Amino acid sequence: MTKRILLLAASFFMLTGCVTGYTLVEPGPHSIDNLTVNANSGWNLVPGAGSGDRKNAQRWTRDGLLLDRMVFIPAVPDGEPLAVSRAKDAAMPVFHKDMLPNEIEELLESTIVKFFGEGQAAVSTSNLRPHRFGENSGVMFDINAVVTESPMYKGVVGAFIASDELYIMWYIGADPYYYDKHLSDADAIIKSATLASLN
Amino acid sequence: MIHRLPTVFVLIALLSGSTSLARDEPLDHKIPPGYVPEEARDEQGLWMELDELERSLNKSALLVRDPDINNYITEIVCRVAGDYCNDFRVYIIRNPGFNASMTATGMMQIWTGLIVRANSTDEIAAVVGHEIAHYTRLHSLQRLRDIKAKATAGSVFDLAVILATGYNTPLGQMTAMISILSFNREQETEADLLGTRMLAEASYNPHASYKVWQRIIAEEEAAVVKRRKPSMFAQTHPASDARASYLESLVTSTYGDDDAEEVTDEKLLNILNTHYLFLMEDQLDTNRFGRTKELLERHHSIGVEPSLVYFFYGEMFRQRDEEGDKQLAMDAYRHSIEVGTAPPDAYKNLGYLHLKSGDNVAAQVEFRKYLEADPAADDRAMIEFYLEE
Repeated sequence: MTKRILLLAASFFMLTGCVTGYTLVEPGPHSIDNLTVNANSGWNLVPGAGSGDRKNAQRWTRDGLLLDRMVFIPAVPDGEPLAVSRAKDAAMPVFHKDMLPNEIEELLESTIVKFFGEGQAAVSTSNLRPHRFGENSGVMFDINAVVTESPMYKGVVGAFIASDELYIMWYIGADPYYYDKHLSDADAIIKSATLASLN
Repeated sequence: MIHRLPTVFVLIALLSGSTSLARDEPLDHKIPPGYVPEEARDEQGLWMELDELERSLNKSALLVRDPDINNYITEIVCRVAGDYCNDFRVYIIRNPGFNASMTATGMMQIWTGLIVRANSTDEIAAVVGHEIAHYTRLHSLQRLRDIKAKATAGSVFDLAVILATGYNTPLGQMTAMISILSFNREQETEADLLGTRMLAEASYNPHASYKVWQRIIAEEEAAVVKRRKPSMFAQTHPASDARASYLESLVTSTYGDDDAEEVTDEKLLNILNTHYLFLMEDQLDTNRFGRTKELLERHHSIGVEPSLVYFFYGEMFRQRDEEGDKQLAMDAYRHSIEVGTAPPDAYKNLGYLHLKSGDNVAAQVEFRKYLEADPAADDRAMIEFYLEE
């Protein structure tokens, strides 16, 4: 009898451990700090900041984080990294307020290399192009990540600088299949990004 | 309780002192070429697992499949390996770190970071010789057996302590771990010594065996952000300075001083010049500018195509972005353009730096040159945006 109770208790904790509290992102305007994007349906907001995420960052997914994810990082101040690392020897790259488009590309490349683990991924970017995010001039570019013991990832990135702070968001999906599956929806969300009015 | 303590000390001594056997054995290959395990079940199991790992590695997107690089490394491996040549499958892994590894089955991995850090083919051969020595000395199998034996002894010891004292301490497991790591270091030293002998027998310069470590030390000294060193007891390998030191003593006493004439290593230079862009872009993505600068200085000294080296000096200074770096980067890009066939990105990034300085006219001149040099540039839309401003 005692064994059965223990087994039931163990099963309960194992089951509750699987419930991570994902919440549905309602279609329509969605605020992430002072960044607003127009969400389409079917995305799930991943609860809490993930390991390495900045506090005000958000991650969304449709089929699971390893298959596809959208990442929104608003208001990165001058001199700070896009992600945090507990390792003192990580040499994380940092944002500078005078960065030009090519440097924002390089900042993200290096950040993603650090995210997967130095030497565990080869990251490249392409198709850098201008894009206007509401009143702010910004850029978009494509990203490709080859990761050890993982699927290949492709993605699209949008970024702009406002009031000396960086706003950057990206979508990556496992290639083939998942990247293409959600690309047009993710692209529309990134392109919709604007800053909320300060009034 | 006190009368049981001697038993405890005996157990500790047994656990920690069981690793000094290898040094007394003659340092030679333990297996013949073409070796396949036939009897030991643990060894056969290890081979099955490693075969599975190799199948997985074969599919890795980070494998460098370029025939030039693969032929270059395979040629070195076969020359050092001699009769063992057919025992090895070489996999070049796209990783900017300094590393190489070997499994019990002969699956050898060489990271691209090793190629970037070598000043000569002899230095790559030195690392290859070290890895082959691990294979022919059956180090993986010994390590597996060592771990199993010591982990078991550690558990028995901990149990004995509980029975003797009533206290549950992980002393046995900890001692076993320290002993296992010490055993690893001993194997590394063995591989260094046998590898150096193989290097010399293959008519490579044996002095390369310690020079490769001296360069790693120089790179670490040049690093702005130092890598965390494991504690003395947690190290799986002897420290770089110790390796450089004992190998230099050994090589100099055995083969005499290094009087080899400095000659251009055409084979290595050909590989570096042909593949420099991806090799150094991966290095640059590590965001470790002190190390990158040290590598560039080295490449400059061994004769890598100057326009490529100067281009990456430009990239390094521009991305580091410290006081005075913008000017240094601009000078480096200009130099890259002047001395040879610079990558088109030299014009583009020079243009971006002009843009940053507020000189839009000069920026547009460079951007136009960039589009001339690379008409199919994938960022044409971005460049044209600045040309129209």
